[in-house]
Amino acid sequence: MSNAIELRGLNKSFGQKQAVRDMNLDIPQGAMVGFIGPNGAGKSTTLRMVLSILFPDSGDIRVLGNDSALKAKDRIGYLPEERGVYRKMKVSAFLQHMAILKGVDRREARRRAEDWLGRVGLGDVGGKRCEELSKGMQQKVQFISSVIHEPELLILDEPFSGLDPVNMRLLRDLIQQQHAKGVTVLFSTHVMFQAEQLCQHIVMINNGSKVLDDPLSAIRARHAPRTLRFEPIDRAVDVAASLATLPQIADVEAMDEGWQLSLSDGASLEAATQAVAACLAPAKLELIRPTLEDVFIDIVSEGNVDSRGAQAEVAA
Amino acid sequence: MNKTLQIAWREFTATVMTKGFLIGMLVLPLMMGLVVLLIPWIINMQKAPHVEGTVVIVDDSGLVADGLRDYLTPEAFAKRRLDLKDRVDEIMPPGVRGMAAGNAQADAMIQQQLEQALGMVPQLRIETQAAGSDMDVLKARLRDEADEARPLAVLHVADDAVWPDEGAAIDELGGYELLTRKGVDDRLIDSLQDGSRNAIIAARMNARDLDAGEIRALNRVAHPAIQRVDAGGETAVNEIARKLMPMAFLMLIFISVMTAGQYLMTSTIEEKSSRVVEVLLAAVSPMQLMGGKILGQLAVGSVTLAVYAGLGILALVTLASAGFVDPLMLLWLAIYFLIAFITMAALMAAIGAAVNELREAQALLTPVMLTMVLPMMLWQPISRDPNGTLATVASLIPPVSPFVMILRLSSSVPPPAWQIAASIAIGIAAVFATVWMAGKIFRVGLLMHGKPPNFATLVRWIRMA
Repeated sequence: MSNAIELRGLNKSFGQKQAVRDMNLDIPQGAMVGFIGPNGAGKSTTLRMVLSILFPDSGDIRVLGNDSALKAKDRIGYLPEERGVYRKMKVSAFLQHMAILKGVDRREARRRAEDWLGRVGLGDVGGKRCEELSKGMQQKVQFISSVIHEPELLILDEPFSGLDPVNMRLLRDLIQQQHAKGVTVLFSTHVMFQAEQLCQHIVMINNGSKVLDDPLSAIRARHAPRTLRFEPIDRAVDVAASLATLPQIADVEAMDEGWQLSLSDGASLEAATQAVAACLAPAKLELIRPTLEDVFIDIVSEGNVDSRGAQAEVAA
Repeated sequence: MNKTLQIAWREFTATVMTKGFLIGMLVLPLMMGLVVLLIPWIINMQKAPHVEGTVVIVDDSGLVADGLRDYLTPEAFAKRRLDLKDRVDEIMPPGVRGMAAGNAQADAMIQQQLEQALGMVPQLRIETQAAGSDMDVLKARLRDEADEARPLAVLHVADDAVWPDEGAAIDELGGYELLTRKGVDDRLIDSLQDGSRNAIIAARMNARDLDAGEIRALNRVAHPAIQRVDAGGETAVNEIARKLMPMAFLMLIFISVMTAGQYLMTSTIEEKSSRVVEVLLAAVSPMQLMGGKILGQLAVGSVTLAVYAGLGILALVTLASAGFVDPLMLLWLAIYFLIAFITMAALMAAIGAAVNELREAQALLTPVMLTMVLPMMLWQPISRDPNGTLATVASLIPPVSPFVMILRLSSSVPPPAWQIAASIAIGIAAVFATVWMAGKIFRVGLLMHGKPPNFATLVRWIRMA
C-alpha cells in the first residue's frame, strides 16, 4: 500500500529554536495514526508543514502522491488546534464557504452542509450566526468544515481539547466513521488516553525529534509488563516478608488494595507468577500493563536524562 | 481563481451587508449637505450678537459723531446684515441658493426678513458727550459694576481725526480710541471699529467736498463670471465650483480608499484573532487569501466611489453645473483609484496580518495615515501652481502620486501627457512592489501570535519569507 504522507529529513527552526529536527515519517494510506508528545514538542509545526502552511528549512514532503500539499489541498481535511469560525456569519453559510474553498460546487456545498448539520444534531442552527452557538456546537461545526469536502486525508490537531465527555465521544465516533470509510487519519494529542483508544499506530515526538514510531501492540510488547499486582487469600500473612525471599521478585510495595511486585532483572513472567502463586495462595494475581502515558513519561524522562548527560559532557 | 473569487465574495457581502456600512454611507453625504445648507445661515448668525446697552461717543473733532450714530442704529445693522447675506448668496451655486432661500424673491419676503433681522441686531443707545470730556470720569463709569446704565463702550474720536494738526502732514491724521467694559462681545467690538473707521473716512471726505459714494463706486470693479471657450462653445464657469472640484475628487478617492482599507484591516485582524485563518490557509494559499480580500474590498470601495461620485454628479446636474465634469476625468479617476486602492489595501492587509488586535495596529497605521493626509495638506500649493516643481515631483512619488495627479488633472491647468503616463507607470510598479512585500508580511504574520511586531521585525519577515 502506498503512503499518504512521507516525510524525509524534515527540519524547521524559528529563530534560535529548532522546532522540528530530522523528522522521517511514513503514514500508510487508510491508517489511523496518533501523533503524541508534550506541549511544544513540534507536533503542530510538523502538521503545518505537512499542510504547506509552513515550509521546512530542509527535507522533503510527499502528501497523497504530490510533492506538496498545495497540489492536493482539496483532498485534505484539516482541523487546526487554534480553530475559529466567522462570528458574524450564519452557520450554514460558513460551512458552504469552507466547502467551496475546498472545491465543492455551490449547490452541492449547500446540500452537504444541511446534511452534516442534521447528522450531528444541529439541524436547526443553520440559520443562526456562529457566535450564537455554544462552544461545543462550534467545535462540531469546525469538524464538519474539515470533512465537508470528503477528504482522503484528515489531519486533526488536538481535536479533543476543550470538549466535554459527551462531545468527546461524539467526535470520536465521527473520526472512527471517517476512518471506516477508508480516510487516512492523523491526529495529534497530548492526552495519551485518547490515542490509546483510537489508534493502532503511535508516533511520539519530543523536543522536535521522533522518539517512537510503532504499532500500539509493538509498543506494548516492548514495554512488557514487569510488575504484578497481588492480593493473598489470607490477609493476615506478612506478604512483604514472604515474597521478598523469592529470587524473581526484586521489590514489594503496598498498594491501596494488595501489593505491587516488581520483577528482578532477568526473571521471566511465567517463572515469577508461578513462584508467587506457589509461595502464597493468590486471591488475585495480575499483570500491570504500562499505559501509553507510562511509556511516554518513561521516554520523556529518559530524554531529559540524556540531554542532561550531553550537557555535562559539553561542560567537561 | 474560483477560490479567490469566493473569498472576495465573502469579504464583499460580509462588509456591505451590515448596518454599519449602510449608515456610514449615508452619514457623509448627509453631513456635507447639511454643511452646504447651513453655511449662509451660519455666516448670518456670526455677525448677530443680540446686545442692548449704551455706547458713549466723545467726538473731539466734532465732525464724526453724526455719521457714527447713523452707522450704529439697529436699521443700519439689519441692512448690512442682509447685504452680506446677498453677497454670500451670490457666490453660492444657483441650486444651493434656491434651496437655501426657497422662493423668497418677493418683496414681501425681503421686508419680512428685514423685520426679522431688526429683532436680532444690537439695540444701541448712543450717548454723546461734549468734546473734551474728562476720559477718567468715563473710565470710572465703565468700571462701576453697580451702575445699571453702565455703558458698553466709550468711543473717543481724536481732535485731529479729520484735519491734521497745524504743521502735521496728511498721513499723520489722528484716529480714535475704543474703551470697553469687561465682557463685551467681540462681534460688537468689530462693529464699533468698522463704524468708527467708516464714519471717520466719510467725515474726512465730506470735509474735503469729496463724494463718498462716487469714490466707493470708483473703487469697485465688477467680478465677472468666467466664460470657458472651447470647441463645444462657451460655458459659464462657476468659480467656486471650479476651485472646489480638485478637492472634491481628492476627497472622493480618499474616502473610498480609506473606508475600504479600514474594512480590510479589521476583517484581517478578525480572521487572525478568531483563528479562522488557519482553517482558511489549509484551503487556499496566503496569496489567494490576500488577493481575494483585496478584490472583495475593491468592490466595496468601488461601490462607495460610485455612490458618492454618482451623488456628486447628480448634485451638479441639479445645480446646472454638470459641465465641469469631463468624462475623461472620470476615467482618470477610475485608474488612479485602482492604483491608490491596491497599494493602500495591500498595506492595510499586511498591517492587519501583523498585529493581534486593532489597538496594536495604531503604531503601524500612523505613518500610513500621515502619507494619506499629505496630499490634503498639499492641496493649496498644488492647486495654486498645478504644474510647479512641488506638484510635478509629488505626482511621481508613490503612494502620494495618484492623489496629487487627481488634484492636478481636475485643476484648471492639466499636467502634460508624459507626466500622466509616467505617474501611471510608476503607480503600477508601486502596486506590484507593495503587493509583493505585503504578501510576505501577510504570510508570516497570519500565524504569528504574541508580541506585535515593529518595523524592524516586518523588514525581517519580508527578507525571510
